[in-house]
Amino acid sequence: MSILKKGDLLLAAAIALIALAVSWSFKVFGNGDTARIAVIKQKGRVIRRIDLDRVTGSETFELKGDYPQLIQVEKGRIRVAEAGCPDQVCVETGWLTKRGDAAVCVPNGTIIEIEGEKSEVDDATY
Amino acid sequence: MKFKAKCLSLPLTLALLGAALAACRLQMPREPVKKQGFHMGTIISQEVYGESADKAADEVMKEIARLEAEMTVTKPGSEIERLNQMAGRGTVKLGPDSFYVLKTAVRYGEMSGGSFDVTVGPLVKTWGFFTGKARVPAPDEIRRLLSLVDYRDILLDEKKLLAGLAREGQAVDLGGIAKGYAGDVAVGIYKRHGIKSACLNIGGNVVALGSKPDGSPWRIGIQDPRGEKGSYVGVVKVVDKAVVTSGDYERFIEPEKGGKRYHHILDPATGYPADSGLISATIIADSSIEADALSTSVFILGLDKGMKLIESLNGVEAVLVTKDKKVYITGGLKESFTASGEKKGYEYIEKG
Repeated sequence: MSILKKGDLLLAAAIALIALAVSWSFKVFGNGDTARIAVIKQKGRVIRRIDLDRVTGSETFELKGDYPQLIQVEKGRIRVAEAGCPDQVCVETGWLTKRGDAAVCVPNGTIIEIEGEKSEVDDATY
Repeated sequence: MKFKAKCLSLPLTLALLGAALAACRLQMPREPVKKQGFHMGTIISQEVYGESADKAADEVMKEIARLEAEMTVTKPGSEIERLNQMAGRGTVKLGPDSFYVLKTAVRYGEMSGGSFDVTVGPLVKTWGFFTGKARVPAPDEIRRLLSLVDYRDILLDEKKLLAGLAREGQAVDLGGIAKGYAGDVAVGIYKRHGIKSACLNIGGNVVALGSKPDGSPWRIGIQDPRGEKGSYVGVVKVVDKAVVTSGDYERFIEPEKGGKRYHHILDPATGYPADSGLISATIIADSSIEADALSTSVFILGLDKGMKLIESLNGVEAVLVTKDKKVYITGGLKESFTASGEKKGYEYIEKG
């Protein structure tokens, strides 16, 4: 135990665990083969649709309304970066990356979601 | 305008996430009504969209229970049970549902050259599937009972809704078609309630009404016959279709633990479980009774004869899986079928 300290071991274990978790999440929540389209709706109307896999760089834009929101888009992901609303629920939702993911802001009447259901099928025949 | 940055503890973050999910649920338009029930010896699940979804789903469940009571041969007192008891002795009056199902069964008997035969009842009974007393009957017992199997002995009087069986000892079993009919009846109920989008699953028989509320087709997984439950050989996208599978893996008996398995789909020609080389036959058709009867027919007929039968019919598509893990897909599914079993050794072949 001269070269490796306890802290090093802990760190290594933590990294291994995170790696495992990430690979597992890819398996379980894998993006599949269809495009991921983020749909931004406000008060039931579609404001904008973004093909997340075709985004290059980082873009931010503002969603106006009673409580303006700052939306950030990067390749394969979208989030509400900042919001003027009191509850911050949409911000706390974090990055949306998988089909079926959604961030909702009730005060501002907006829904940001990546089109599609979470699971690969709606039903099954057997 | 000012944005506030916040640093939150994990529990609070989780709580907010939960709230976000709850908010999401409130905001999403038209959550489906989901109901499950146990009828016809299987599990039934419904996902129904629309204003009267709740009412419609309840009515469907009640109706399926009623149809079961009319057509079952595992509980006494059904119309079909009375028909069987009167075999060789006279006719019985049937309700319009049982009569229609019996008449349709005869039609598929003709169409399949006798591979689909609901008079297989005495054999089903002696094998004892689903009774908890299943066994492999002696060969001469099978031979004796085989002589009673012939759908042409079903006598039907459409005007009076009378039905009979020509010879004593004959018996009808509607297990290969009643669930299919129930699916069609359910669609009628949904439509009467103004439902435009619903997905019903009667023990693996899927009936998709319309498309999903967002206009996209329903994605129906086809069970991998050699994989875990919930793993698929492929996914088919459908709108207004019934998707029904017959396979050797879903219901079977295993007289000796770890020994030979006998599945429940009997070949009326041999009296033994069908051994046509197919391990799974999925039919996609407009009507659920058609898909149900055809999946059984094709499973028994095998690949070549089965394909021929499907190709002779309009608007019927199929996904057939053989013992050697080849998956045959009819041409009409080109756009709507997605393979998902390549990594598990399945090979996909397009037909027609």
